[in-house]
Amino acid sequence: MTTKMVEVINQLGIHARPAAKIVRNASMFDSHITLTVDGDTVNAKSIMGVMTLAACRGTMIEVQADGDDEREAVAGIVQLVLDGFGED
Amino acid sequence: MSDIPGSDELTVARFYKILGSKLELVPVDLETGFANLVRSPDISRPGMALTGYIQHFLHERIQIFGETEITYLNSLSDSEREFALGRIFETPIYCSIVTKGLPAPSELIAYSRSSDSALFLSTRDTTPLIHDLTDLLDEVFAPRTSVYGSLVEVFGIGLLVTGKSAIGKSESVLGLLERGHRLIADDRVFISRIRGILVGRGDSRMGHLMEIRGLGLVEVSNFYGIRAVKERQQVQFEVRLEQWSQDNQEFDRTGLVQKVNNILDISIPQTVIPVLPGRNLTLLLEIAVMNHLLVRQGRNIPREIEDNLINRILDKETDQERRTDMTGGRET
Repeated sequence: MTTKMVEVINQLGIHARPAAKIVRNASMFDSHITLTVDGDTVNAKSIMGVMTLAACRGTMIEVQADGDDEREAVAGIVQLVLDGFGED
Repeated sequence: MSDIPGSDELTVARFYKILGSKLELVPVDLETGFANLVRSPDISRPGMALTGYIQHFLHERIQIFGETEITYLNSLSDSEREFALGRIFETPIYCSIVTKGLPAPSELIAYSRSSDSALFLSTRDTTPLIHDLTDLLDEVFAPRTSVYGSLVEVFGIGLLVTGKSAIGKSESVLGLLERGHRLIADDRVFISRIRGILVGRGDSRMGHLMEIRGLGLVEVSNFYGIRAVKERQQVQFEVRLEQWSQDNQEFDRTGLVQKVNNILDISIPQTVIPVLPGRNLTLLLEIAVMNHLLVRQGRNIPREIEDNLINRILDKETDQERRTDMTGGRET
């Protein structure tokens, strides 16, 4: 199990496009990956789940993965969030 | 008009066979000039050239002698008429039509014979005849291409299904026919651009044949009857079936991204559907078309959901900022 906290930095937060990026990235790993915000945990491979977080800028997200490639999975998603999903 | 020849195959004989009865054409000499190729999608009215302005005479087009030309020629003396027609026949003319049931001047008949140029008489009025003639020529001379895939009319939309061979195109198309949609072509779709739209059809010599792996060739109209097949259809929307794999995550998750495919310089919307065992492709193709119909009507559901979500996120941020404002807050 690998866990890491990361802060949302892009202006519009995790709307549909960033959510799609997270899901696309997560789906490339075998590990079970979850995102948790304020005790609300969703599957990172489900776009509807990630969208229901409606995470705005400044939100702290706990990225957790469990599986053979859990380190890479967490690192990949954390990097996406830190990059602001390529947005402003 | 299902079997449209290419522009390099349209001889006068072929043109006469296709349009002879519709245009009410009667050849003055059967066979004369019939081997000539029709060389232009346009027609020419030779009136100006007959009066002497031959600089821009368009001899590579089918010549239409209407009432203007014939009454003008009849107003000339025999020698003037001979001269006027002789001058335009100095450039190679391959086909002429005299309309409105008017008699062809004897000089026109003679020049046509001596230069192996086809000459037809028609009882039809000039303008409607020209419209029907250019309809055919537009198709013959239209830019064309062929695409590997199937073309099916689904809820009135021309759906082009593409994807690698053996991905399940034909099976999913059979499912669509089972549900009352209509097949235009399977395996190879011939597409032409006619007046700004893409028109697709199959190979008319092949009928509505499909190859189903394990069953061989099946003729669709034998199973489903005439209601399941169609000769031609505008190509409006493409669904590309792609093999799903963990490494290939390049398909759209939200429906926010509208891909397009360019066929003969016309863009049509394209949706990529990943294929997985157990996915009901027929159902997915129907849903994709319904979605396309909604977008055409101005409803973009993913866009609406996205706008809604962004508003919720921004409201949330404003609320949080208000709560932490005493500490100076974050710049916006």
